[in-house]
Order: sequence, then structure tokens, then C-alpha cells
Amino acid sequence: MTALQELAGQLLSEGAVGLVIGWEEGPRGARPAFVTRPEDAGRLIFDPRCVHNLAAYLHPRRRHLPRSGRTAVVVKGCDARSVAGLVRECQVKREDLVVIGVRCGGVVRDPARGAGLTAESVSDRCPGCEAREPGRADHLVGELPPAPPASTRRADALAALRRMSPAERAAFWDGHLSRCIRCYACREVCPNCSCVTCRADVARPQWIDPSPTVRGNTAWQMMRVLHQAGRCADCLECERACPADIPLGLLGKHLLDSVAERFDHRPTDDPGVAAPLGAYRTDDEEEFIL
Amino acid sequence: MITRFVSDADLAALTAELVAAGTRVIAPVRDPADPARADYRPVARLEEADLSAPLPRRSLKEAFLPATEVLLRYRQHKQTVELAEVPTAFPPAVILGARPCDAAGVEVLDRVMGWDLQDELWFGRRAATTLVARACPGEDASCFCTAVGGGPEGTRGADVVLVPADGGHLALAATAKGEAFLAAHPARFADAGGRDGAAALAAFGAPARARAEQALPALPAGFGQALAGAFDHAAWKGIALRCHGCGACTAVCPTCHCFDIVDEHDGHDHGARRRSWDFCQTAKFTLHASGHNPRPTQTERYRQRVMHKFSIYPARFDAVLCTGCGRCSRTCSAGMDLPEILGQLVAAVGRAGADERGDAR
Repeated sequence: MTALQELAGQLLSEGAVGLVIGWEEGPRGARPAFVTRPEDAGRLIFDPRCVHNLAAYLHPRRRHLPRSGRTAVVVKGCDARSVAGLVRECQVKREDLVVIGVRCGGVVRDPARGAGLTAESVSDRCPGCEAREPGRADHLVGELPPAPPASTRRADALAALRRMSPAERAAFWDGHLSRCIRCYACREVCPNCSCVTCRADVARPQWIDPSPTVRGNTAWQMMRVLHQAGRCADCLECERACPADIPLGLLGKHLLDSVAERFDHRPTDDPGVAAPLGAYRTDDEEEFIL
Repeated sequence: MITRFVSDADLAALTAELVAAGTRVIAPVRDPADPARADYRPVARLEEADLSAPLPRRSLKEAFLPATEVLLRYRQHKQTVELAEVPTAFPPAVILGARPCDAAGVEVLDRVMGWDLQDELWFGRRAATTLVARACPGEDASCFCTAVGGGPEGTRGADVVLVPADGGHLALAATAKGEAFLAAHPARFADAGGRDGAAALAAFGAPARARAEQALPALPAGFGQALAGAFDHAAWKGIALRCHGCGACTAVCPTCHCFDIVDEHDGHDHGARRRSWDFCQTAKFTLHASGHNPRPTQTERYRQRVMHKFSIYPARFDAVLCTGCGRCSRTCSAGMDLPEILGQLVAAVGRAGADERGDAR
């Protein structure tokens, strides 16, 4: 029995939590697991296939989960930033959670393609990760694995995008967004997408075209991404969930870099640090306001 | 079934002839950015396609029901509104190398599209299209076509089925339209030299059939009725815990066909009425204007997806609304697995009512 399984079993049998959200072995690799009985804690696993950001399940709109008492959630360092985001934005109370941190050596992009971590298989968010030990977790389990393999895939793609002329960049995104079918998987898997009614679902007024044309798709992604400014934890679940393989992570990462540059803010697992979109500062430059 | 032989060279020549004559040819094409993935795409030459490519990411349904299409265009004048309808006749098309599960999906959808009124756009495209499927070598452990009455050697929905043979394919006509297609290109579809097309088809599909049967046994007779009687069964409660309620599974499904119709303005006085795919897994799908939602959580929404496919549609249209392609499992970012869930439901609600009805639905 691993330390993770032992801890989960103990929390459940002591009644400290009513539900543990972790990962288990599924038909196509690791997948989210929901454990309510101590005898089922042995199902829990953690390995590089555990790419899923489980913080999404903490959101109050997930009303079908069997919550009773506190909920324990297993997080990697990157996922801990999403938990902090939910606490920061008052979507969930920290005292209702037991956060179990796992030390992480990187995760793969596709849990169905095996646990081997290579420059090719590793998730774009992992190379150079500085959050491999979720320090603010209530419990921290596992040994620290070696650092994730280096990869410049995302940096190269972003650099290429930034070198493009505006017309070239528009053509690049038109090409990708022409495949979007507006299933909203990017929204539904996102721990940050917490609006009770998404603007995309509002029909009066119709802010953006609901049918999947490049015009409406572009408007949708611009709106979605800009609402993530300074909030996105860079978990890349939007990109992984997209059935049209649109490189949404590039939008998120560019925004992340812009916010870091303009507001000196990076996503953090400290819910006490206010994000720019939710903070008022008199020294904001505001030079774009006419 | 009429059987002919088409060599690889003749298939390439046929493709070129069709395209030159103005026929749209749609075939599986590998994604240049990720050759492990493929899509059904229009091709100008057969060399662009790869009939042995992996199962295309998106199903074939969009060849007949695009993700979005214009139903009519409108322009407002002072006192009147001018309407312009879209054509419902389409230029000829040939789909080359469809998977049997995708071809079957089209036939399944014919039933709802021709139910109380004929969907002109669906049947317009259907009439213009010859569907040439290719016997399936199987994809991976998520395939379960045999559990829902299909198979890697299935001919349902196809006009012609190709079976790999030395130097080319045997071509079996499965419909009168398929026979006409073979007859229209006598130089390309040669005599099969006495080879038994049906036997070759069964032999080619056998390994994939064995694997699919292992993944999920055939759904028991009376399963649909059993589900209908188990609407409030406790088994539903835990079934969709990991489901995020995104529409990815419905988008890639060869049989999910729900759509929404909206008017979109292109300016202050004109625009288009479009129909676009809709997704039953999102909360908005059943949200009433009053704010009430009869499917308030993911449990009810996922139950609906299963019920519609395996109970409601079969009761109404005499066909399961699933062809076992497994795309939902492959696409789901949260690891929801329909064959696994069907197995659980069979165990939980089984075959109640099967004895009275005795059918396979």
C-alpha cells in the first residue's frame, strides 16, 4: 500500500473527509477517481499519467459528486494553484478541503499513451517546473522524482507565433479555430470557469455568434482566454480536452507571460495573493484607458 | 453480392477520374502535424489519402450533417423580409474508405432524419453520395462494434465495401447504388476471378471481431426495455462522477445528431439562419426559460445520453443509436468509458423484460 492510499484510507475511516478525489487505473490509462469508502483507497494511484487537474471537481457546479463533510483532493504542484484560485475567488472554502499534495516529476500529455516521460511525451507545462512540491498542501506524500525532461516545444511554438506578422498570426488562428465545434469542452474542464451562466450561453443579448464559424469561434476563444488573465494556472486541461486539437495552451501561455510582464503576477498556490483581475491598485498604469 | 477487383493503380485512377468529373471524393487523410491521427477530408488524388490510416478523429456524420450550415438567409427591407433558401441538391460525392462503424452510423441516422418529415439537407447529401466503406482491421481496445450489432465486416450503410486483397481490393456491392457505381466504372472494377467476396470480407474482419467481442459482449436482448424500466435505478448515481459535462463525446460521435437553430446577424439588416450541432451534456441543453432544468446535474445528463442511445431511439426507430466506434472513450479527457459503463448497466439492470419481447434491442 502506498503512502497515498494509506493516507486516503485513514482520512476516510476517521471521518475526516467524506470523499477523496484522486486518480485510478482506467481502461485507457489513469483517470479521475472518487473514493468514499476506506476499503477502496487501494484504487488510488499516482504516476506520470495523472495529468488531470482534479481541482475542477471542487467547483460547486459539480453538484453530482457525493459530498458529505470535507473533501480531500490530490494535487500536483500545478493543480494546487487551481485550488488556490477557487479559494481566492470564494468558490470553495479552504477549511472544507483537505489538500493532499504529491511530489511530481512531470506528467505526460496523453494518459493513454503510457507513463514514459520523454521530451516528446511530457506535458507542455512541465519542463522547467518550479512547483513540483505543493508546499501549502495539508499532507505531502511520495518521494520527489527526478525533474521532468527538458523540452522547448512550447517555447519554440510561442516564439514562432510571436515572430509572425499580425496577418500571419490571424491566418494561423483562423486555421485552428475553423475546426472548433463549440462543444465548450475547454470551458467545462477548466477549474477557473466558474460563471453560473457563461456569456457564451447568454442569448439576450447574443454577445457572440453561437454557431461554429470562424467569426464566432474567434470571439468565443478571445472572451474565454481574456477572462483567464492572471487567473489561469496553466494546467492545459483546455488544450487536452479539445476534441479539435486546437493549441489553446499557446493563447493561455502568451497571456500568462503578458500578465507577468505587465503586472508582475504569476499564478501561485497562495490564495492570499490577489490576482490582477480581482485587485484594485492605484499604481496600475491604465495607459490604455482613454 | 456482386464482387469485383480494383487494383491500387485503378483505385487511384478512378479517384482522379471522379475528381476530374466534378465529384467530391472524401477519404481518410493523415494529419501532417501528427501522422498518428487522421480525418475524413476531400482529396484531389488518392495519394493524399491513406486507407489504412487510424480511425479518423471525427466521424463521418459531418459529410451529411455539418457542424454548422445555413438553412436560409434573410434581409430586412422597410416593410418586408426577403428570404433566400439554400439549395437542397448537392454535387455528386464519393466517400472512399469509410470505417464500417461510420457507414453504419449514417444508416442509423437516416431513420430519425426521415421520420416525420424528410430532412432535405440530410437526404440531399445522402442522394448525392456513394458511400464506399473498407473492411476494418480494428482500432484498439475501445472498439465495441460487435456489442451493438455491427462488425468490422459490416456492410450497413455502405453502398460498396472494399476488402484488402493482393495488389488492391475486392469491391462488394452492398446496395443497388453500389452495383450501379461498380457498373459505371467497368475499366476500374475488373472481374474478381471467381473469388468469394463475402468470405474474404468475413475472414478479413475476423481478428478485429474477436477483439471487439472480448471488449464487450453483445448487449443482451431486452436491454433497452430493461433500461427504460430502470430510470431511477441506483446504478446511475455513480455513473458520471468523472464526467465534466463537456460535449466532446457527442461531437465525435457518429450518431449524436442534436442541433440548435439560431438566426445570426451579419449586419443590422441581414443575416443567416443556421443549424449547428448541439450537445446534450451541457447544462444549457435543457435549461428552461423559467430557470428550471429538468436535468439538473451530470448524473441526469449522462443517463439521458445512455437512455437515448440504448433505449429511447431503439424503441422508436428500431436501431441502437451507437455503432461501437469507441470515439467517446478515446476523446474523453476524464476517462469516461462507454463500454465499461454499458457492462456495469448490463450487470445492474440486465435483461428485464427480455423474455416477453425477445428482441435484441
